Amino acid sequence: MKYLALLIPALFLALFAYAVVRRIRLYDCFTEGVKEAVPLILSLFPYLAAVLMLSELFERSGLSAALTNFLSPAFRFLGIPPEISKLVLLKPFSGSGSTALLSELLRTYGADSYIARCACVSYGSSETVFYISAVYFAGTARKNLFKPVAVSLAANFLSVILGCFLCRIM
Amino acid sequence: MNALFAAVFLLSAALFLFADPEGFLPALLAGGEKAAALSLSLLAAYCVWLGFFKVLGQSGLSEKLSRLVYPAARRLFRSNDREALSLASQNLSANLLGLPGAPTPLGVKATKRFEKTGNRYASDMLFVLNATSLQLLPTTVLSLRLAAGSSAAADIVLPTLLATLFSTLCGVLLLRLFSRPRFGRKAWGLRHKTPPRPSKTARRPAGERPRKMRNGMPG
Repeated sequence: MKYLALLIPALFLALFAYAVVRRIRLYDCFTEGVKEAVPLILSLFPYLAAVLMLSELFERSGLSAALTNFLSPAFRFLGIPPEISKLVLLKPFSGSGSTALLSELLRTYGADSYIARCACVSYGSSETVFYISAVYFAGTARKNLFKPVAVSLAANFLSVILGCFLCRIM
Repeated sequence: MNALFAAVFLLSAALFLFADPEGFLPALLAGGEKAAALSLSLLAAYCVWLGFFKVLGQSGLSEKLSRLVYPAARRLFRSNDREALSLASQNLSANLLGLPGAPTPLGVKATKRFEKTGNRYASDMLFVLNATSLQLLPTTVLSLRLAAGSSAAADIVLPTLLATLFSTLCGVLLLRLFSRPRFGRKAWGLRHKTPPRPSKTARRPAGERPRKMRNGMPG
């Protein structure tokens, strides 16, 4: 953990020193890059807002709870503890929501319990698929995202199964 | 995405209508509020990283680095677009290092370029790689575990790494399985020297070729 914190300042130091040696106009160049940040955010914002509203609805309406109840026997069969099935369902929609859920699970079951370890592994090995799809394809004319989204969801789900299995034997 | 949005939205709205009609608007507003807050913090992160990557680009370092991975990236994305491949490989390295907020602007730019040249396979591949998590060290999880008083916070690192490698591998294989290789100059860019090896279906006489293949991939 400690060494990891060194990574980012070291990267900046190395690059900027190299840029100075190469006689790059550092300030001009850096601000030139920052200039792109606002248009980028503006182009992402509508999709961000829609996905986050959707994830809020998904959770607050009880739809995610209903789906969790419906699916937990199947999850149990695949070796995924039913306690974390909500996390598995929520993760593709919302990063912040699933982070909150993960810390709640850690608190409820204890950080070193089997359930908490499963939760950590499935959180760490999957991604917020819908969010990423909204952001990455935001500036393009592409409408049909079924294939990449379905493939990513399937791959993430398989990794959750493997992760829970690994937690049991390791 | 449209179908999913409609389905989840309608189902949730119906549930709200019966169970808790007053909770509907607050839920939407909470989502909007989160979007506003998140875009501010993303804006901060993008300012830092877009500045950083501009310097990286201007210094000529990113070109040197991308020359190293070019042959691999070219095969992975089935593309000859140097600019897009460089962006995509920088995106992947930022993912591996787990630099928060850094991969997204690069990924968005690369996707735009891939889509503009009509190389759907490449943008799908980039998306799948990003959406199956490439991070070497799950830093968020580690800090959450430490905060929750874990005595051995790091013992999830190995299973997580194995699971995430597995998910990325599955993603790549599934995507390759569902996207038939495209042949022809359009898919590979215009400058390639060695055309991709024709697949079995391509070697058939033109008249017998199934209609699906002529359009590249279905869907």
